[in-house]
Amino acid sequence: MTEMKTAITLGNASLKKKLNAIEGPFAYEETAYHLPVAYALTGRPVHTAQEAIEVYNLTNENPFVACESVLAFSEQGPGREPAPYTGFIGDAVLRKLGYSLVDGSILGLALVIGTPGNSDTASRICRELQEKYMLTFLAGDVVPSLSSASVKLGLEYRLIPLGSTSIHGVHFVDIITRVALMFGGVVPGDPGRLLAYANQRAKAIAIVFPGLDNEGIALVDALRLLGIPIISLGGYEGGEWTTTLPQDAVREGMERKGIKVTVTAIPIPMSCSPAFEGKSIRKEEMYVEFGGGRSPAFELLRVKPASEVTDGLIRVMGPEIESVKEGSAVPLGIIVDVAGKSMRKDFEPVLERRIHNFVNYGEGSWHVAQRDLIWVRISKDAVKNGIKIEHIGKLIATKFRIDFPDLLDAVQVTMVTDLQAVLAGKKEAEGIYEERDRRIQGMKDTDVDLFYSCTLCQTFAPNHVCIITPERPALCGAISWLDGKIAYEISPSGANQPVEKGVVIDRDKGEFEGVNRFVKKASHGEVERCSLYSIMEYPMTCCGCFECIALMLPEVNGIMVVNREYKGDTPSGMSFSTLAGTIGGGAQTPGFAGISKNYILSDRFLQDEGGIERLVWLPSLVKEELKERLVKKLNELGHPDLFEKIADETKATTLEELVAFLDEVQHPALAMKPLL
Amino acid sequence: MAENSPDLGGKIGYVVLGATKAEDGTRSVSYRLGGESDLPFIGMKTSLGSIPLVAFEICDDPSYWSPIVTSYTGDLVSDTPEWATAAEQQYGADLVRLYLTSTKRRGFDDFPSITKVTEEVLSGTGLPLVVEGSNEPAIDSEIFQRCGEAGQGERLLLGTAEAGRYRSVAAAAMAYNHSVVAQSPIDINLAKQLNILLREIGVKADHIMIDPYTGSLGYGFEYSYSVMERIRYAALKGDTDLAMPMIASAMDSLSVKEVREADPVIRDDIAVAWEFYAALSSAVAGASIVCVRHPKTVPLLKLAFRELWAGKKPGEF
Amino acid sequence: MALKALDIYKLLPKKNCKECGDPTCLTFAMKLASGKGDIDKCPYLDLNAKNILGASTRPPIQLVKIGVGERRFAVGEEFVVFRHEKTFYHPPGIMFQVSDLWPAEKIESVTRRVGSEHFVRVGTDLTFSGVAITNESGDPDVFSKAVGVVEATGTHIPEVLMAADPVVQEEGLKKCGNFRPLIYSATKDTYKPMCALAKKFGSPLVVSAKDLESLGEMTKLCNAEGITDLLLDLSFPSLRDYVPAATEIRQKSISRSAPELGYPIFLDTTRYEMQDTALVLGIDKYAGVIVTPALGPASSVATLTLRQNIYTDPQKPIQMNPGIYPVGNPGKESPVLLTVNFSLTYFTVQGYLESSRVPCYMFIVDTEGLSVLTAVAAGKLNETLVRDSIKKFDLENLVSHRRIIIPGYASPLSGKIEEETGWKVLVGPRDAAEIGDYLLKEWKI
Repeated sequence: MTEMKTAITLGNASLKKKLNAIEGPFAYEETAYHLPVAYALTGRPVHTAQEAIEVYNLTNENPFVACESVLAFSEQGPGREPAPYTGFIGDAVLRKLGYSLVDGSILGLALVIGTPGNSDTASRICRELQEKYMLTFLAGDVVPSLSSASVKLGLEYRLIPLGSTSIHGVHFVDIITRVALMFGGVVPGDPGRLLAYANQRAKAIAIVFPGLDNEGIALVDALRLLGIPIISLGGYEGGEWTTTLPQDAVREGMERKGIKVTVTAIPIPMSCSPAFEGKSIRKEEMYVEFGGGRSPAFELLRVKPASEVTDGLIRVMGPEIESVKEGSAVPLGIIVDVAGKSMRKDFEPVLERRIHNFVNYGEGSWHVAQRDLIWVRISKDAVKNGIKIEHIGKLIATKFRIDFPDLLDAVQVTMVTDLQAVLAGKKEAEGIYEERDRRIQGMKDTDVDLFYSCTLCQTFAPNHVCIITPERPALCGAISWLDGKIAYEISPSGANQPVEKGVVIDRDKGEFEGVNRFVKKASHGEVERCSLYSIMEYPMTCCGCFECIALMLPEVNGIMVVNREYKGDTPSGMSFSTLAGTIGGGAQTPGFAGISKNYILSDRFLQDEGGIERLVWLPSLVKEELKERLVKKLNELGHPDLFEKIADETKATTLEELVAFLDEVQHPALAMKPLL
Repeated sequence: MAENSPDLGGKIGYVVLGATKAEDGTRSVSYRLGGESDLPFIGMKTSLGSIPLVAFEICDDPSYWSPIVTSYTGDLVSDTPEWATAAEQQYGADLVRLYLTSTKRRGFDDFPSITKVTEEVLSGTGLPLVVEGSNEPAIDSEIFQRCGEAGQGERLLLGTAEAGRYRSVAAAAMAYNHSVVAQSPIDINLAKQLNILLREIGVKADHIMIDPYTGSLGYGFEYSYSVMERIRYAALKGDTDLAMPMIASAMDSLSVKEVREADPVIRDDIAVAWEFYAALSSAVAGASIVCVRHPKTVPLLKLAFRELWAGKKPGEF
Repeated sequence: MALKALDIYKLLPKKNCKECGDPTCLTFAMKLASGKGDIDKCPYLDLNAKNILGASTRPPIQLVKIGVGERRFAVGEEFVVFRHEKTFYHPPGIMFQVSDLWPAEKIESVTRRVGSEHFVRVGTDLTFSGVAITNESGDPDVFSKAVGVVEATGTHIPEVLMAADPVVQEEGLKKCGNFRPLIYSATKDTYKPMCALAKKFGSPLVVSAKDLESLGEMTKLCNAEGITDLLLDLSFPSLRDYVPAATEIRQKSISRSAPELGYPIFLDTTRYEMQDTALVLGIDKYAGVIVTPALGPASSVATLTLRQNIYTDPQKPIQMNPGIYPVGNPGKESPVLLTVNFSLTYFTVQGYLESSRVPCYMFIVDTEGLSVLTAVAAGKLNETLVRDSIKKFDLENLVSHRRIIIPGYASPLSGKIEEETGWKVLVGPRDAAEIGDYLLKEWKI
């Protein structure tokens, strides 16, 4: 057992001594970066013993500088180590390696160093690194150990033997440094940038066998400053290296550094492709079905801490396909547990919805609906080809990893087919669904500091931007505030951006300083002010895909709403399409606004105009669609009979008819403050 | 402030293509594109901005090329470097754009040929070079690494990066100091996103050219025309994520019905007209480089640009 | 600055009397706001309101009508600087030039050509717009004769009379003045007699001057003579000046900061050697009437196509007529490929199918011009439409098999289409470029 603290001190002392023993000039071959680490840290080229000592002192006796200088001196001419050792790797080759790092053919760099007691262990670790697309550098005793196990070494095998001593490990550092200088925008003489690059962007790990000499320990320990996780296989006491079992070493290192292997294939005996999305499985074709009224079923996606999720773990709790009779209906609970550093509880419903698409990707699997209403089928053909219930779980898990590589670190799926367990799980799931609904329903604009924008329609209307708030969904009806938030967090450079509210300029109108600033920029200066809760003054712009149009009818002092599906005449004298033609295209038209259907039920609708009592006309089909919720809301507001007073096309299609009707029923709008 | 148009405070960034001896390259000329601070062609009066450049497109496997070009040009198309020489010396192009169409072949794996043809074309012409790399995502990595390395020091323009497929071309650009063609499907927001993605991976803003995808005349051209106008306008209004010079190539021009089914007597004329009208209009919309494939189109465009930009030399700001 | 509908409404009498032809004052206000209304239609506007509204509700660029009868056209009445902001409304008239020195047959042949030549693209007839007769002779009689030759062809196409001398103009107008020819042109020295002629014959008039400021002055002078149907001559000595000048005119007209420049633009490309270049600049950038020498076959079709492209409404996709379109020589066993009637989709897919050399049928259904993705998302492309279209176009009698290939992005509909039609659905690639490969690999009889 080596005691770390002492070893580090001794190692550094030994390096210092070697450094002081250098004489004469030296240089690495084929590089424009002199001694790369020294150059990056200080901006100074080092080619003489004196310069080496100066820079060593300047950098607070940095062990990398010491090692570099020593090697550059010793590797010259006859000092060059024979094959297979590479020694210092020139810029041209390095450029190629850097290229592979950027283009993703290599996921990261690993340094394997130390004296393996068992060459099998070493070769297994190296093989695992190769399979995971890591580029591995070797230094010291590990090299002969691998050779003795007949492991092929060299650039083409991505196992690069740097040199015969542990000091040669410094080439690992000069490689990372040069990648930072070549690709990372790091400028020589800016140690802060270099450290930041190494810590945040460099995908590098170190795996250490026992038996390192003191110099090696000093060198490896200094890697911690660069944010390189040091995975030790034992034999070192004290210190801050992580000890693991050999079989966990690579995984642990890669996980710590966030290096993820991209999944591309779905390893199940069934074709999967978006081409199968619409394909249904008829009763005659199915082997087994779940839910759909024939048996209890539900699906649920939950975020869990990383420690509770094992990536790729698929379990079937209950009978598998072998014990299911052809043509039968079986209970099913699909439980997807996910973990990810940027994953949030809010995202659960958005991701959960994808289970539907993923199951439909399978040629022999079919899924409809969501939550506890799901209906799933597996075809006879699929079962004949070897598909099991477990494979459906695997399909779901793999697709989640493929589609959300940055958001999700681990996905595990449990397919529950035991009746009791499904019933219990379903109850629990229902509680979660309700909680989710309550959370978004209850959300008020005043609860949040950020709204979200949507510019998806700018292809059609170049100056239009929607501002989406918890109480005001996008005018197309398709995107809620939560959808916008999640879309932004998943794709930060996408069509949904956060909008800071800023100072409230007018509470009733819903005019916010931050929103104005955002809208002005997004509309290229065309729109300077936007009142979120007003139709009459500075209403939001419209693109063309609004579900409804709200507009003023000054003669009756009220606001009417007409929806896209309604083709007839309205009391304004204009049809939906005539109105849409004039107010669309990114225009801001006071007195007119494109809105979503559900916004009619929002407390903010018509807030500046005095509230829902302004609503004088609405097509009957929309009235019917919203009836239950609208009546409830009107009752709560103390207007139990207002619903009947809102005219529709059966009561009036012209202005004159509307005036007569509103007069007859004594609609409150007539007595309200004049709109104009 | 622009002379003509109100409220424009932004400016198109610069991109340099081609490295001459002074910069350790072997090109006979180097172009600096961009720098405009007003709408396209407004600068003619005040000499702002750079003259649009004409790129002549060639390929390394003419079996994938338009029969109109191959029959007009003759055997020259089988000798890629000679074809490049002709582009410069006979047709008068400002740049050569080399498409590695050989990578379209099923199971292509002759990677050394990629290095070879790139180097040969660099010898065949002193003009700055645009290289359109791989046609098959599976071999992107190898192809772009080779093109990039073969052109190291020459400041190539490498194509083409798209939203789902940009890592290899970006890597080659960063490793060997080239610029990237960033292509989006006629959508200003997607163009912006791609530029952001490229910058995030490390490509500098002054190493990106926007390709909005140019439909040919009569087959979607107006969509591209308007997207280019929108991109230029947004950039001038201050959107730095879109303030890159643009490249336009209506590459389907020679395979449209009007050209293919024309009377053989006038087919070349129609081909040239089809290319000319789209290319000149693209420049009117803001493209800094327009690309064509028929030899006869090049001198017509050069003449037009020379006349419209009094006494300005290509690449001169 | 254009007034908004609400502000206009406030100035209206609000009687809802319907005498303007609109059902409510609000409707009338909205029309005025979009520059499409006529304030004179309201009998109850007070003078004050009229003044305020008049200036800001007439179109930023005067609508000028040229010619009479079937081939007449109008230019102007534009509202945007960039077509993507809304659309350009009135494509430029492109006039072939004839000289009064030419033999009659030559004049006649060019005129007849304009009269009868047409290209059909995307279901629209594209033609040139008229002839421009230039007074090269300097002689009023020769000019008059030339105009007579044009008239005698009976093609009734619009004309531009290009003579600097009002005396010569008058002779020409005597021959065709009833047909609203465009008079070219009035200068500072000749505007009085030219305006008188314009007034007499009810013809639009081009004004020429050395720069934009002078052009603005000219239009004011002509207005004072009672002439408002004007065009601005931007045929400056250097073609270099065209785009900056045309852009400035358009910008200032739209922002209403120089109403004296709110008129369509005239461009005579015969002055320049680079015809095609001048044509492209004119079409791309705001020209209302372009005069060009008679174009060769290549330039002709390219010019008309470019004009069609630039003046297509960006928000209204061009649609194909739904139906069955054969590619190559398909037979009873040939594949049937379903797609939408967005013209761009049609042409793109057709192009790839033609290169694949697999004879097949393109089965185009009516998605109101929406692309595949949009039509699927909006529910416009659905199983009912497919079923009804199969019936309508008698697909069952065209092929002996019952298989239909749908676009990759329409895959969510595959099951429903099968159920609804009884046909077997094959899901093709998402990218049209792969259709050739797909057919070669997947289509087996």
